[in-house]
Amino acid sequence: MTTESSNNGSLPGLLEGVRVIDLTHYLSGPYCTKLMATLGADVIKVERPGTGDPIRKFGPFPKALTPSPLPDGKEPHESGAWFLYLNTSKKSLTLDLHSDAGKDILKSLIPSAQIVVENFAPGTLDKLGLGYPDLQKLNPALVMTSITNYGQTGPYRDWKATELNLYAAGGLMYITGEPESEPLKEGAPLAQLGAGQTAFVATMGALMHAEDTGQGQHIDMSIADYATNILENAMMQYSYSGEEYTRVGNRGYGRAAWGIYPCQDGYVGIISGPDTRWPEIAGIMEREELSDPRFASRNGRLINADEVDALMLPWLLDHDKVDIFKAGQEAGLGFGFVATMEDILEMEQLTARGYFVDIDHGEAGTFRYPGAPIRATVTTSPQSPPSQGGEAAASQSSQAGQDNSASLTKGGPQGGRPTGSAPDHWVYHRAPHLGEHTEEILGDALGQSSGEIAQLRDQGVI
Amino acid sequence: MTTKHQANNGNSNQPLKNFRVLDLSRIWAGPYCTKLMADMGAEIIKMESLSVYDSHRGPINPARGIAAYPDCEPGDEPWNRNGWFNCLHMSKYGISLELTTETGRKVFEQLVAISDVVIENFRQGSLERLGYSYETLRRIRPDLIYVSMPAFGNSGPWQKYLAYGIGQEQLSGMAHMTGYRGEGPMKSGINHGDPITGSHAAGVLLAALRYRKRTGKGMFVDVSQQESAVSLIGADVLAYQMTGKEPERRGNRSPYFAPHNSYQCAGDDRWVAIAATNDEEWRQLAQQVGGPELAGDSRFSTLAGRMEHEDHLDELISGWTADKKAYDICHLLQKEGVPASPVMGGPDLLADPHYEARGTFVRVNHEQVGEMTYPGIPWKMSATPGEVRWASPTLGQHNRQIYGELLGIPAEDIDDLETQGIIGTKPTGSRII
Repeated sequence: MTTESSNNGSLPGLLEGVRVIDLTHYLSGPYCTKLMATLGADVIKVERPGTGDPIRKFGPFPKALTPSPLPDGKEPHESGAWFLYLNTSKKSLTLDLHSDAGKDILKSLIPSAQIVVENFAPGTLDKLGLGYPDLQKLNPALVMTSITNYGQTGPYRDWKATELNLYAAGGLMYITGEPESEPLKEGAPLAQLGAGQTAFVATMGALMHAEDTGQGQHIDMSIADYATNILENAMMQYSYSGEEYTRVGNRGYGRAAWGIYPCQDGYVGIISGPDTRWPEIAGIMEREELSDPRFASRNGRLINADEVDALMLPWLLDHDKVDIFKAGQEAGLGFGFVATMEDILEMEQLTARGYFVDIDHGEAGTFRYPGAPIRATVTTSPQSPPSQGGEAAASQSSQAGQDNSASLTKGGPQGGRPTGSAPDHWVYHRAPHLGEHTEEILGDALGQSSGEIAQLRDQGVI
Repeated sequence: MTTKHQANNGNSNQPLKNFRVLDLSRIWAGPYCTKLMADMGAEIIKMESLSVYDSHRGPINPARGIAAYPDCEPGDEPWNRNGWFNCLHMSKYGISLELTTETGRKVFEQLVAISDVVIENFRQGSLERLGYSYETLRRIRPDLIYVSMPAFGNSGPWQKYLAYGIGQEQLSGMAHMTGYRGEGPMKSGINHGDPITGSHAAGVLLAALRYRKRTGKGMFVDVSQQESAVSLIGADVLAYQMTGKEPERRGNRSPYFAPHNSYQCAGDDRWVAIAATNDEEWRQLAQQVGGPELAGDSRFSTLAGRMEHEDHLDELISGWTADKKAYDICHLLQKEGVPASPVMGGPDLLADPHYEARGTFVRVNHEQVGEMTYPGIPWKMSATPGEVRWASPTLGQHNRQIYGELLGIPAEDIDDLETQGIIGTKPTGSRII
């Protein structure tokens, strides 16, 4: 069986050959380009000489490297968790975009690129003469994606914002938290990261369009617009009925026994649906009273929510989260549990699927990185019977004579699905040191000599 | 606000106009993936069973007064009048088909043969039990891209387990790091797991289509909704390994900035979100809240000082915002360069001049609902802006079009399919969670 593998280089990533000029910093843009890099694109992260992406300075840092500065006087700005995670598989090029020489170098990269992603404040690149109209002149098929707080147009275009402000302005915050307390943001920056992943979708569509037609374009991705786009429940209820969605704490909206509850060693998620399965929950929780017909319907449980909770709690508080989760799941109920970071790192499902990737960063050390969000297995032999991997698959495919399957994933899917014989994963390298690839890019891609490079360095351009 | 009426099928200049997706997905994660593709012109054929239709349509006989329906009125065909369903399926075709009959299976296989993508988010293995694995489907369509998105992926000890978006918030760690200070974890007002997975799947699927175009190779795309959610917030998994400390629940506060919170304003349940991300923004905010005295108070001039006194600062700011309108505060503070935004509810969003100017929401006319407001396309593309082409399909709305015009099944045979209950427009049952 012919095996293509991204480890030995014979299987290209899905975006192999696509060059991305990455002018992003902080969260939203870097997550967008991280996805591109993970799929094999050549992502050149352009950073300010000396300081780089400001998120390099955001902690936490590895224990050995805190507090800053390092013993040798350097700041630990290579190794913050956010920077390391969001910039895997990218190259770093330092470039002063305020200098003419820096602008020229950026422009000289544009003809070789298919995509530019940036998340500066609106108008910033235009003022530098590096806006979409300037860059498109150099490459008519160029796709440029701009991710900003409120978009490139509209009265709030220049409003300042943090994640807190965007979660609020997008309508998500108003419906999160307890009804009698303040509206709450998520702990993780989901508006920014979500806008980044959605910008990736639009960029892929625009790339395909550019390759089909030669027509490039500019994508305007607003984080606030994105937040409103996923506010479907609350938005549609208000739009259809005029009734405003409210905060309900940890209870499901218009539901009971549907949310997060304390248990012996943490918190679990109870899902009391569909109605036909409710009697099983009463069985699992060993409380005859829960099978009371008053609680049999969703509405009945809602009316009697406090009573239902009081009946469930003793059993919950007497059991561990994973046991509760599995008791529900084994009965076909969608229970969950509130996983800590420790739980996630040890979760049997994730480790069995080979989800984590150990990456040594040198300075920061080796950590377990969450792997790619999605896996794929490439197969091209329609005639081959369902392969199970191993020898059987090899002999079957040699009969078919043209099997050409490979896995882009760590560990293939099982059970009647194609399994790549060489387990591996998507492109995954440590985040770059600041300016690590400057000479390689200027030398290889742009043909600059080492003398010229040294001169640029002296001038502070790189 | 732009108004789009039904039956505008134009997608002439859309990036994905040449791709056909046979969409068996339900509820939110899968439909959000295909919604993003429909937003770029893909031909999405949403296939439902009359006995187990997409539960997002709601029950066959809902109670009156449920706010999911226009003016809380379910009407004669409530399954066609549910707001949440109707916002997720705009610009898609809707067909019904029973895979439990031999004739239905033949029709399904004809559809697979002409589709670029099959996508499903059934419980793991459900479609395989009907005899359709990736392997069997790609015998019908050799370069098929098959996207399977069960809760925990297609391998591993939990592969048969199920979880909804709310469960993925818990199992990914999102809920663990969200909540009021000193209190337990808190779920979000939506189910973040669903749109996160839908968007990840759409991006990878487009990359896979592009790859197929260049190589002729189809592929099996294995989506674990859980992995997708953990990957988005993976930095916290690294942070824990670096420090040995679990993330702290901080309410609205930030480990990097102070003050940073939502504050009550004049009116009923009205709030404003305010942040000072550096010393200068604090001075400007302080100038408004307490004049030169507060702005010059050296206790608060550094981030460390503001964090030490954050309770006190929150009290001062709350006192200042309490009798003011959220929007007034935002305009005032933004003029001074301070990040501030209203905590918007439904009425704010639909009346907001910024969203109005950007066309963030669209008006769409649905034959059983009338003209309503919906979230639009999440991005603005300069050359291929796209548009909502038609309203969400009623159950089986496009049966005649897809089976007749696309598959070329003669009208009398389509009649037979209807008579036999293999296709139709009236549900025979529902399974609602």
